[in-house]
Amino acid sequence: MSTIFRSEEMTLCQLFLQPEAAYSCISELGELGIVQFRDLNPNVNAFQRKFVNEVRRCEEMGRKLRFLETEIKKDSLPIYDPEDNPEAPKPREMIDLEATFEKLDHELKEINTNADALKRNFSELTELKHNLSMTQLFFNDARPSDQDIMPTREMEIVTSGQPLKLGFITGVIPRERMLAFERMLWRVCRGNVFLKQAEIPEQVEDPITNEKVYKTVFVIFFQGEQLKNRVQKICEGFRANIYPCPENPQERRELAMGVMTRLEDLSVVLHQTQEHRQRVLAATSRNLRTWQIKVRKIKAIYHTMNMFNNDVARKCLIAECWAPVTELDRIQLALRKGT
Amino acid sequence: MKDDLFFNIDHGYLEGLCRGFKSGILKAPDYHNLVQCETLEDLRLHLHSTDYGSFLANEASPLTVNVIDDRLRDKLVQEFQHLRNASYEPLSTFLDYITYAYMIDNIVLLITGTLHQRAIGDLLPRCHPLGTFEQLGAITIADTPAQLYSAVLVDTPLAPYFIDCISEHDLDEMNVEIIRSTLYKAYLDDFFKFCKDLGGVTADVMCEILAFEADRRAFMITINSFDTGLTQDERAKLYPTCGHLHPDGLAELRRADSYEAVKEEYKLLFEGAGSSTGDKTIEDKFFEHEVKLNMNAFLRQFHFGIFYAYLKLKEQENRNIIWIAECIAQRHRSRIDNYIPIFP
Repeated sequence: MSTIFRSEEMTLCQLFLQPEAAYSCISELGELGIVQFRDLNPNVNAFQRKFVNEVRRCEEMGRKLRFLETEIKKDSLPIYDPEDNPEAPKPREMIDLEATFEKLDHELKEINTNADALKRNFSELTELKHNLSMTQLFFNDARPSDQDIMPTREMEIVTSGQPLKLGFITGVIPRERMLAFERMLWRVCRGNVFLKQAEIPEQVEDPITNEKVYKTVFVIFFQGEQLKNRVQKICEGFRANIYPCPENPQERRELAMGVMTRLEDLSVVLHQTQEHRQRVLAATSRNLRTWQIKVRKIKAIYHTMNMFNNDVARKCLIAECWAPVTELDRIQLALRKGT
Repeated sequence: MKDDLFFNIDHGYLEGLCRGFKSGILKAPDYHNLVQCETLEDLRLHLHSTDYGSFLANEASPLTVNVIDDRLRDKLVQEFQHLRNASYEPLSTFLDYITYAYMIDNIVLLITGTLHQRAIGDLLPRCHPLGTFEQLGAITIADTPAQLYSAVLVDTPLAPYFIDCISEHDLDEMNVEIIRSTLYKAYLDDFFKFCKDLGGVTADVMCEILAFEADRRAFMITINSFDTGLTQDERAKLYPTCGHLHPDGLAELRRADSYEAVKEEYKLLFEGAGSSTGDKTIEDKFFEHEVKLNMNAFLRQFHFGIFYAYLKLKEQENRNIIWIAECIAQRHRSRIDNYIPIFP
């Protein structure tokens, strides 16, 4: 009769569980998935329940697993899905799992910090390399006009005969900030500085944010200490990375050579670090899903156990649940399996 | 009439979203539970069951109050930016006006930091995300307000407010506060005028809230300036004119020289506000009144005031949570109940 209404006859049961056996019984019932427990402690706060520490430990483990997952996704490694359904591990195994996660977490964090330092160094050197090559072009353009007494549009040299000594600052700034930067420079220095810029064709990884962005190399020529200070402050304010550039073309070439060799060395080390990281992550990715399922099952079991009433007098846990009448045998079987 | 019929076409989604956010604001039982927490971990666990959800889920285990503060602010900024990104005119201008207040705060923060010789790299992360603009980092180059205006602020929306502040004096501690008050006065008057021009329910609701804000600023400026070298006339220039006190009350405030003389207007608020530690301070009373006005904004429909009110209520809630978190972290629970309740 009940099948016409697409509903089942349900019964409210009370379970008396030994505290030691409670965990495995709930695990078995959870695998069946046919009972719904009632919350016997509705007035108790979340953080005053009996198994709150275990739930916290599960959340901590979940956090570490999420961190590992983001790291694996960053490297676009495949995560293997387990074919079978892992069972919830025993409470003793929880400690082992925690230790494993802690170790992996620690190791990965270490690799990450090392890799970050190396990458930052690498990006700085790349920017410096672009900087040097671009400024080479600027100075080449300016070179012929050095000897002329005719003022050219390149460098505003006064025609009093002696070319004035202009100081300069070179640096790299993200492309989107270039316009505001130029305008600010013009306003503050009242048009007394000369700016030349060239865009870096490929994307460069920013040393600070580790994102690939388009950048522009700029060189600013100015005269005098005051203007120099102002230009420096503006560069700091717009977070442009300033790189020292020697005036002498020979020194520039030497510096460029030095930078190239350092870049090569760094890329080798960086490559090795990346390989190590890949190995660790690959080993993790094989077990990640299994671990996640296990942690969720543990957390679910402890959440359910939080809903039970702890009867101190008879030293057992009392649980109330709704169950379909027709499934009562299966439930009894599961409970027997659990104890 | 026009409000009711045509408001939902452009702004209906956002109003619905905002009211949804507002219903997630913590209520009295939540605060009751929070006050009973023993550690910050308990706090995190309880907030997990509210609208905040897992916003602290990825933070490593020893939580600090600073981390909670940052995450709370990030969540609010994210919500506000979603509202701003999805808005049409004139709501988008309205929301921009709200951000100008944060810009003023950021500018003052940077100038004060520079005066104390702090590096720009330390100061920029401490700026409020809602008040950032492109030229923010370049504020440190200015030595005088005139330079600040001509170099940095002239391209920003704050340019018209700065006209009154331009002077050739050097930027020092005292001046920075005066600049802040002058900027804020110009901003408040401008915002008030904008709301009045919008008309309709928005004007009703917002003008009430902004008038209270103006009066509160006038009071705080007066009370805070008692021991400093600020003359009465200089003080009078800093009072916003869009409040209920204008012009007679402001004239009296100008002449006021002591705390008692200030109590004339707004008598009800001052009653019960003593300066001893047991009573609530006058600032707390102002906060309570502000919360009341903001809650009233939600009782009317089809206006922009709810966005402003939501932002302010959320900020008050964040202040409450941080207050409770500090009391827990420092184990000084005697005044843990001194938060401002939002839902009575």
